[in-house]
Amino acid sequence: MNRLLVVFLTLLVSSVFAHTNEHANLGERASSIKASGKVFHGSISIIRKMHPEFLRHKRDKTLRQGVRTDEHSLKGCVSCHANKNKTNNQYHSVDKKDQFCSNCHQQVGVSLDCFSCHRTTPKKGSL
Amino acid sequence: MSNIRFEQIEGKSLGFYTLVAGLGILVLAALGSVYYMEHHGHFVTGMSNRIVWGVPHVFALFLIVAASGALNVASISSVFNKKLYKPLSRLSGLVALSLLAGGLMVLVLDLGRPDRLIVAMTEYNFKSIFAWNIILYNGFFVVVAVYLWMMFERRMNKFSHTAGLVAFSWRLILTTGTGSIFGFLVARQAYDAVIMAPMFIIMSFAFGLAFFILILMASYQWTNRPLGDVVVNRLSNLLGVFVAAVMYFVAVYHLGNLYLAENTGVENFILFDGGIYTKLFWYGQIILGGLIPMALIYHPATKGNRSMLGLASVLIIIGGFIQLYVIIIGGQAYPMALFPGKEILEGYGGVAQYSASLPEISLGIGGIALAIIAVTFLVKFLAFLPESLADDVADPHYKG
Amino acid sequence: MSKTLNRRDFIKTTSATTIGVATIVSGITLTTFANANKMPVTNEKRWGMLIDTNKLTEADIDGMVSACQQEQGWGSELHSTGNQKPGWIKKLKVRDKATGKISNLALMCQHCEQPPCVDVCPTNASMKRKDGIVLVDRHLCIGCRYCMMACPYDARSFVHETLSNQKEHMPRGKGTVEACTMCVHKVDKGEAPACVASVNSDAVIFGDLYDASSKINQTLKTIQSAQIRADLNLNTGVRYSGI
Repeated sequence: MNRLLVVFLTLLVSSVFAHTNEHANLGERASSIKASGKVFHGSISIIRKMHPEFLRHKRDKTLRQGVRTDEHSLKGCVSCHANKNKTNNQYHSVDKKDQFCSNCHQQVGVSLDCFSCHRTTPKKGSL
Repeated sequence: MSNIRFEQIEGKSLGFYTLVAGLGILVLAALGSVYYMEHHGHFVTGMSNRIVWGVPHVFALFLIVAASGALNVASISSVFNKKLYKPLSRLSGLVALSLLAGGLMVLVLDLGRPDRLIVAMTEYNFKSIFAWNIILYNGFFVVVAVYLWMMFERRMNKFSHTAGLVAFSWRLILTTGTGSIFGFLVARQAYDAVIMAPMFIIMSFAFGLAFFILILMASYQWTNRPLGDVVVNRLSNLLGVFVAAVMYFVAVYHLGNLYLAENTGVENFILFDGGIYTKLFWYGQIILGGLIPMALIYHPATKGNRSMLGLASVLIIIGGFIQLYVIIIGGQAYPMALFPGKEILEGYGGVAQYSASLPEISLGIGGIALAIIAVTFLVKFLAFLPESLADDVADPHYKG
Repeated sequence: MSKTLNRRDFIKTTSATTIGVATIVSGITLTTFANANKMPVTNEKRWGMLIDTNKLTEADIDGMVSACQQEQGWGSELHSTGNQKPGWIKKLKVRDKATGKISNLALMCQHCEQPPCVDVCPTNASMKRKDGIVLVDRHLCIGCRYCMMACPYDARSFVHETLSNQKEHMPRGKGTVEACTMCVHKVDKGEAPACVASVNSDAVIFGDLYDASSKINQTLKTIQSAQIRADLNLNTGVRYSGI
C-alpha cells in the first residue's frame, strides 16, 4: 500500500517535468553516450519516476547483503552525470546548484539526502 | 469536596506577558543554538567520541525523569484515593506533559540528524531500550491526555480512577525504561547496574514533586488565589521523604559498586579523586541537593515556611541536575576497562575532558523554558487550577 | 595479500579490473568488477582477524592506521579536535600489571557475534551482516550515539563536521556514527582489508573463521589467542595472541 502511494505520488510529481527529454546538464559521460546513439537507460521516464525506489532497493542489498552489482548503483549515476568545469577541468558536484541531480530536485522541491554522505563527483582518476 | 471550582487564570497582566516573552526568548535562543550546532556539526560543542552524551542529555533526561514524577500527585489522588490531592491532579498531569515535551525537545534536537526523526518513528529495533522509550514517551502523551480528559469531562469522571491507574503504571514503566538506558550498558563500569532503574524512579518522585511545588506556589502567588497550609505542608512532607529515599538509593548504588572489584576504579573516581565530579557529587548532589533541602523541610526553624520550601525545591532541582551530570558525564569521563588486569599506557584511557559549550547549555535551558511556557499558556486556556486551595476548601477533614 | 584469502572463491581481480575499465570506457555499461558478488552473503562464512602482538611491531601498527585512513578517507577532518577526531583503528600500548610485559596492538571494531551496538540501536542502523561484519547503515542512523555508549571497545566515532570528497566506496557524513567496516568493499571483491594488506609479516591474518582450510582457522586451532573483554561473551571476530 505504502509503495503504491509512493509510486503514485512520484508519478504525480514527475509529470510536472516529464514532458521534456532534454536536460541542460546531462553530464560529461552521459552526454557522450547519448551523442553516440547508444541507449543506457531502458526508459528515461521509468528512471525519472523510479530512481528513488531503485536506489533504495540497491542500497539495502549492497549494504546489508553484500550484493555488489552495478545495476542502479549511485556511483554509476554520479560517474556519468557529473559535469566538468571547462576552465579548470574539475568535476562539479552533482548536488551543487544547477547540476544534474539538484536541478530537478530543486524544481520539484524534493530534498536530496544522498550527498550528505556519498561522494558527489566521479572517483579520482577515472577518466 | 464538591465545592472545588476550577478556573482559568486571567493571564492579562503585565507579569504574565513578561513571563511568556522571557521564556519565549529562551526558547528562540535554544532554536538558534540548534541551528548553529547542526549547521556546523557537533565539533562546536564540548561533546566528543569519549563524552558522547553531554549537557543536552543531562537536561533532557532530567526533564523526562521529572516529568514522570510530576504525575505522582495525580496518581496519589486517583490510585490511592487521597482526597486532599484531588484538586491538584489536573495541574499534575499538565506539568508532567509539559516537562516531557521540554525534555524530548532537547533530546531530539541534539541528534546528529534530527531531520531524520521520522526514521526513529518508522524503524524499530525492539531489542533497543531507546526504541522502547520512543514508544513509552509517545504513549505517555496519549495516556496522560486521556487521563486529563477523564478528569475534565464530568461525564467521564467515573473513569478517572482507571485512567489514573493506567497512567501510573505507564509512568513507572517509562522511568524504568529511562533508567535502563544506562542500567543495561555492560560496557561501562559506571552504569552496568540494574539498580539504575528503581533509582531513576525514586529520583523522578523527588524532582517531579519539586517542580510541581514550585509551579503550584508560583501560580497561586501570582494569581492571588488562596493556597492553604494543609496542602503545602502535606506536599512538603512528601518531598522530604522522597529526597531521603533518593539518598538511600544513591548510597546503596555506590556501596554496591565499591564492593565489586571491577567497579572500584570508577567508584573511587566519582567518590574520592575525580576532581570536578567528586566535588559535584559531594557538594552538589549530596549536600546542596540532599542534606540542605531535608534540613529546610524538617528543621523546626524552617518547617512550614513557604519561602524555605521553595528554596528546598529549587535546591532539589539543582541537586538533581548535578546528580544526572555526575551520572552521565562523570560516568563517561572515566575510561572503560578495556584490559582488566592491564594498564593502558597509550592510545586510550585517561579521564576525558569535557566543558559544556554555550549552545549546548542554551538548548537545555530552552527545554525548561518550553515546559514552563506550556504550563503558563495552558492554565490560561483551560481550567487546570482550583480557584481556591484554602484549607477549608481543600481539606476534607478541615475543622474550622 | 592473497596469503589470507581462499582463492577458490574468487576470480582473479586483476584481469577483471581490466575488463571493467574497458567496458566503462566503451560507455556501454558501468561494470567496475566482473566478479562482483551477485549473491547475498551467508552465515556459512564468518570473517575474522588474528593479530599477533608478539610479531606486530609499532611501525606495523602505524602502517595499519595510515592504510586505514588512506583507504577509507578519515583523519583529515579540519575542525574536530582531540577526542572529536575519528579513530577507526587505534594504536594501543598496554602493560601487564603483574609481569610488566608491554604489548602493542591495533584496536578497532571487534565485529562481535553479539554486538551491543546492534542491540541498542533504536533504528536498526547498527547492523551485522550474515558473514559477521558489523556496519552502520548511515541511511538509517539518526546520530543518537547510543551505540557509542554501548560499545566496550571505544571503536565508534561520530562525525562532528561536514565532510566532502569522500571515498567513492565509503560514504561518510556529518551527524552519523562510523567505525571499522573490515573493508567490506574489498572483502566482497575477494581482497583483504587495507590494514591487513599493509603488514608485511604474518602478524595479522585475515580470513574465514569457519573455513577449516583457512590460515586463520588453522592458526587459531594451534596457538593460544584471546578476545578483548572476553568476560562479556560477545564472541569477537577480531582475536589477539600474545596478550
